[in-house]
Amino acid sequence: MRAGEPTGRDVLRSAIKGQWRNVTAASIAGAGHQAGEALVPVIIGVVIDRAVSTGATVELVWWLVALGVVFAVLSFSFRVSLQAGELASEKAAHALRLRLTERVLDHRGGAKTGRLAGGLVTIATSDALRVGHVNRALPTAVAAGTGLLVGAVALLRVSVVLGLVVLVATPLLLGLAHLLGKPLERRSEAEQERAANASGIAADLVAGLRSLKGIGAERAAVDRYRGTSQGSKDAAIRSATAQAFLDGSMLAVTGLLLALIALVGGTLAADGSITIGELVAAVGLAQFLLWPLNVISWVNGAFAMGRASADRIASVLSAPSALGAGSADVATPVAGGIRLRGLTHGTLRGVDLDIAPGELVGVVAADPADATALLHCLAREVDPASGSVELDGVALSTVDPARVRAAILVAAHEADLFSDSVVDNIRAVSAKQSDVDLAMTAAAVDDVAEALPQGADTIVAERGRSLSGGQRQRVALARALAAAPPVLVVHDPTTAIDAVTEMALARGIREMRLGRTTIVVATSPALLAVADRVVVLTDGLLTAEGTHASLVAHADYRAAVLS
Amino acid sequence: MSTRELLPTASAAQTWAAVRVMLRERRLLAASTIAVLLAGTGVGLATAPLLGDIVDLVATRQPSSAITTPVVLLALVAVAQGGATALGAALISRLGEGMLAQLRERFIDRALNLPLEQVERAGSGDLTARVTGDVTKIAEAVRQALPLMARSALTIVLTLGALAVLDWRFALAVLVAAPVQVLTLRWYGRGAKTMYSAERIAIGEQQQQLLETIGGSSTVRAFGLADDHVRRVTERSSHAVGMTMRCIRLLGGFFSRLNLAEYVGLSALLVTGFFLAGNGTATIGTATAAALYFHSLFNPINAALSLADDAQSAAASLSRLVGVADRPEVPSDDTGTALTDTTVKVSSVGHAYETGHDVLDDITLDLAPGERVALVGASGAGKTTLAKLIAGVHQPTRGTITFGGTDVLDLDQATTRRTIALITQEVHVFSGPLSDDLRLAKPTATDAEVHAALDRVGALPWARALPDGLATVVGEGGHRLTVAQAQQLALARLVLADPPIAVLDEATADAGSAGARVLETAATAALEGRSGLLVAHRLTQAAGADRVVVLDHGRVVESGTHAELVAAGGRYAELWAAWSDQR
Repeated sequence: MRAGEPTGRDVLRSAIKGQWRNVTAASIAGAGHQAGEALVPVIIGVVIDRAVSTGATVELVWWLVALGVVFAVLSFSFRVSLQAGELASEKAAHALRLRLTERVLDHRGGAKTGRLAGGLVTIATSDALRVGHVNRALPTAVAAGTGLLVGAVALLRVSVVLGLVVLVATPLLLGLAHLLGKPLERRSEAEQERAANASGIAADLVAGLRSLKGIGAERAAVDRYRGTSQGSKDAAIRSATAQAFLDGSMLAVTGLLLALIALVGGTLAADGSITIGELVAAVGLAQFLLWPLNVISWVNGAFAMGRASADRIASVLSAPSALGAGSADVATPVAGGIRLRGLTHGTLRGVDLDIAPGELVGVVAADPADATALLHCLAREVDPASGSVELDGVALSTVDPARVRAAILVAAHEADLFSDSVVDNIRAVSAKQSDVDLAMTAAAVDDVAEALPQGADTIVAERGRSLSGGQRQRVALARALAAAPPVLVVHDPTTAIDAVTEMALARGIREMRLGRTTIVVATSPALLAVADRVVVLTDGLLTAEGTHASLVAHADYRAAVLS
Repeated sequence: MSTRELLPTASAAQTWAAVRVMLRERRLLAASTIAVLLAGTGVGLATAPLLGDIVDLVATRQPSSAITTPVVLLALVAVAQGGATALGAALISRLGEGMLAQLRERFIDRALNLPLEQVERAGSGDLTARVTGDVTKIAEAVRQALPLMARSALTIVLTLGALAVLDWRFALAVLVAAPVQVLTLRWYGRGAKTMYSAERIAIGEQQQQLLETIGGSSTVRAFGLADDHVRRVTERSSHAVGMTMRCIRLLGGFFSRLNLAEYVGLSALLVTGFFLAGNGTATIGTATAAALYFHSLFNPINAALSLADDAQSAAASLSRLVGVADRPEVPSDDTGTALTDTTVKVSSVGHAYETGHDVLDDITLDLAPGERVALVGASGAGKTTLAKLIAGVHQPTRGTITFGGTDVLDLDQATTRRTIALITQEVHVFSGPLSDDLRLAKPTATDAEVHAALDRVGALPWARALPDGLATVVGEGGHRLTVAQAQQLALARLVLADPPIAVLDEATADAGSAGARVLETAATAALEGRSGLLVAHRLTQAAGADRVVVLDHGRVVESGTHAELVAAGGRYAELWAAWSDQR
């Protein structure tokens, strides 16, 4: 565990700390509520003793008014406690949700390694809520404690022996609840992990709906989900059975406590050392005490679930970053000169390349893995195994990834569009409306808009799936162009676009990027033809360099591009 | 905000009917669960009369040894009640979890069989929220609310009976509180329905946003959109919190009113006891017992009425699950066999996604068995739509499509699925072992068949070279495959599914031209022995096809062999010139 990385305990603590005002308010009000509830049987006893037994009307009226006041106070306190507790719970969950989102979006990456998006969403919703619930459980525990205390004091005033019975038996019960709660915690953890897995699988199947339907694999997918669901079911039953055992034991033990109080109180009343009214109060109090005692096991369960969820949240928050931060900065303004020196990463085996500021360079990779490796290095998604990528003479591995990405935009081939209108997807990345307009023209998004029901204002359904491949690529390209970064790297931006439109896009890219460094990683002749220079990567090495026209004679180039 | 058209939600009647059917399937388990719960509650009910006995014994000045019997009985009741409660809860979870699993499995079954258009309009967050959030809500209700509510309701009814047996006038006094409770419940019910459904919708939207932001995190990072997306998540999450708090405020008002009912009832009892004891028609002990009975009802009454809240939101969740799960079952395709005559005839087909926006118009096209036809045209010419119509993803707005002379609409889904496959632009790698991904296409496939399918599309060498070979976990969170590899997998699935007709839509377009050539070879191998309709962007694909059909603005403008069309000097020849100029 490195310093500054939150553990489950830290997550839990900060969830409570961040809402301490609400938690305190809920605790105080909850305590008031419980004190009021504890006083009700006491007043019943007083009414029996002073009014019903004596027939004194004034006493009846007076004590009924007192009972009314007690009810008013306990009712008001309950409302305050409920609202403050829930607010603390919801707000803590909200804060965790944002922290998780920020961690996932952190430029240094690493949070998504080994996790399904659906599973992460479950952590940001269900687990965040479970941690938040601790803020409801805590005031409830305080309130229950107060109820116990007031009940015990009232019992002590009736009889010292009775009071002592409660005070000795209660900690014993607490200990028992804690002991019984331990296996539940383990069960709960296993169960929730499997439930998260089941929802991850469900989300994955929903995401792959088109692929499934295309080959008629719905049935097979449903059968597979059934297996996951049955596993979840068995885990849930095991967990519920453990919980049932815990609840049943608590009920039996608290019932035995009640019998004990009845025995002691009954004996004292029979001896005449306490009044009937006091016995009534004692029995009423014993019944009232069942609630706070039962609540202890609920609180315990809520804390157990909260701890298990906090651990899962902490494991995301503390996931090691894929990259170091870097202290150096890129030159401002960015000139856009790129230099690769002995770049070795993945399939790349020592690539040297210089790109002058403002140059439009095509990169042809015979093996897609070479292209992927190069793109990862340019975006500083990874730091190369050896060698370096420099921007204006500064090694990227020494610069904060967020700064790198502000200077170098790598527009991935599989770009996600978001649930906004077509034009808002583009506008989101650009400071200037004129850039947006130019980019939409350059990427022929105008034609796309024409075919859509509400034009450029048509809402893109999740991640652009409502658009055809060619439409989506054009919107994505327009977005990359509109962002107008000092260095733009585009990867196969026109693979789903017909030959005629592709030539127009190639010209659009050239015009819009005039004077700014642009790297086009592609094998399309239309795109490569507009580049100032084209380099060829073969088996992880730079094997040819020249213009499209001059390279046509080159065998590797012909193999990669012209066949 | 987009205007979403959410997936269907069941009415209350439909929801209950679905629950009843599932209960009937588990008659024995349900009956024994109810029996155990009844026994537990019945035993627990003895607590109050036993305490009353002790009071009576003291009031009539019996020796202290006389209370031993009721105390021992109290202890026995405690143990028996604890045991029955544990058993009842275990049984009820078995019952509830079983029904829940059945429901969510049926939900996924129907959800995966929903028309694609409908899912897209609703957003996949709607599906995901239902399968995670709603299921959790129901599971909690099943585990906590259900047993407690059953116990509380039984306690209330039986205690009121006991009170009436004690003295009918006390029972009458208690009923003074009933109007307050009835009015409270009605007031609550009015607000709750709309507020809880608004809360569910807000939570669904929050889930949708999280899916989009987390799923698209690499794009968000690349474009520096993190602040924007954090803001979106904040907004959706705040909205959901606000909706939840609105429900909580309602709940607070609900309990305040119930407190009033408690006070009214208790006061009425005490006043009644005061007068009855005063005129000698009831003993002090009876008055005491009556007050104790009512006080012991506080918790069960509150529990039962407040669970109306959990029940309310669980019912809302349930209706969202049942809404999808209750759609007619799609017959199992185990019985489906592919058609033997695989001639495809498309006659005068037109299609519009939105009325007035025709994407296709008057398309007529034949595909003979074993023939390979390439669809060519500019982006947006309607190639993808035509491919989807033929594959049966969408139904044409006008005209007919027939397989072997039978209208596609008259074929059962199972037959259609066995007959035709569609490989779309969306290539999804399913998370899990690579071989499991492939077996989605044919669950019974042997290892040899899986290897052969990979080999046929040229994927075997790299698949074998993966860290754990074909057992390597791929997809989200697993080993990342390249776009070309993912598409080879899609083609391998096609080989395993082995339909007589295949529609390939841009399946080779996404991998760059080096990858595209590998994929073209793979596609050719995968299509061997079946009719193929290819949506071609690379004209080399078109040139290799038996016939080329050119689409322009939703209409067929040319049709013929590559050589014929080039010679004809029309639209295709123009495209070919633009393409080969680059060579």
